Amino acid sequence: MRSLHIDGDSALHRLPAGVKLATLSVISLALFMIGNSAFLAGAALVGLAGHTLLRISAAEIWRRMRPFALIVVVVALFTAVFNGTTEGLIALFRLAALALFASLVTATTTTGDFIDVITRAAMPLERLGILKARDVGLSIGLVIRFVPEILSRYEVIRDAHYARGLKPRPVSLIVPLIITTLRSADEIAAAIDARGIRRQK
Amino acid sequence: MATRDLVLSALFAAIIVALGLVPPIMLGFIPVPITAQSLGVMLAGVVLGARRGTISVLLVLVLAAIGLPVLSGGRGGLAVFMAPTTGYLIGWVFAVITTGYLSQLLVSHSQAGFVQTVNFFVAALFGGVIVLYVCGISYLALITGLGFSKAFMGSLAFIPGDVLKAVIAALAGRAVMVGYPLLPKRA
Repeated sequence: MRSLHIDGDSALHRLPAGVKLATLSVISLALFMIGNSAFLAGAALVGLAGHTLLRISAAEIWRRMRPFALIVVVVALFTAVFNGTTEGLIALFRLAALALFASLVTATTTTGDFIDVITRAAMPLERLGILKARDVGLSIGLVIRFVPEILSRYEVIRDAHYARGLKPRPVSLIVPLIITTLRSADEIAAAIDARGIRRQK
Repeated sequence: MATRDLVLSALFAAIIVALGLVPPIMLGFIPVPITAQSLGVMLAGVVLGARRGTISVLLVLVLAAIGLPVLSGGRGGLAVFMAPTTGYLIGWVFAVITTGYLSQLLVSHSQAGFVQTVNFFVAALFGGVIVLYVCGISYLALITGLGFSKAFMGSLAFIPGDVLKAVIAALAGRAVMVGYPLLPKRA
């Protein structure tokens, strides 16, 4: 699984992840409070221009933004039809600007930096006894480690259907997938505890 | 939290991610492919119960937020939390809490198989459809200024598919309970 992070050494790459996240939340709040379509269009342009810092082609930018383009356009059209063209334009530029700024933070921050921010943010919760901050990184690592394994398990189960001349059906695919996957939980948990990774009594 | 519970949550998060990556499953009787990721959210509640189910859904959302393309269609990054449909993602958390809590409340091992399936269906329908759509539609209505009735109309087309997923989640949830029971006893 490849992250959406893009390597680089721009000013945005060097900014600490926590600062970028805080700025993003301030910007998104401001975008929701401002209802001027010209200003919002300008903001969207700034977000788009920011992508030149990533040194990727226009086609690559489009590939990254495509999943959001469709839903933004649909919602903007819907708003335009029901609430008038002005509201539709405001929705279009506001939603586009939000997606572009968020995508900038994602592209310039590594997964490791994000995990560090989350672990630090979880420290107060650890002091309250709700969770252990270090577990966050461990769990994220576990998920990334097991996704490819579950995908190949899915293929094995599907091929087993074909081998027996059965059509794969949702229930007959998902049930063995869940049971075989969760059965390995005991071994994995024992391996984690044997290595003392969570440092608990 | 016991290490086993943490591992179960992480493994189920990986299942939810994997369900977003496999090609859409075609159902025999209707010609519409269904993407399995929101089915994964219902399954998390039905199989693991409220607490562990919620942790696995939160893990998927954290992975998406930190830039991994874990959502169906290879979506990910902070932009998915700044989109008009973000309410459905946030709704996943409330959906899995509700589905998990209702599963623990309604389903017990002494019930007949059919009763268990129906109870799982009620839990999945209430959490994974009703609670999910309340979150998704409210967010869409507030963010775009469309108003509730129009936002509801825009979402209507997806409801039949999600009711069907609740049926699949109920059948699968009951089958997993028979094969490898994990649901905590009544809360």
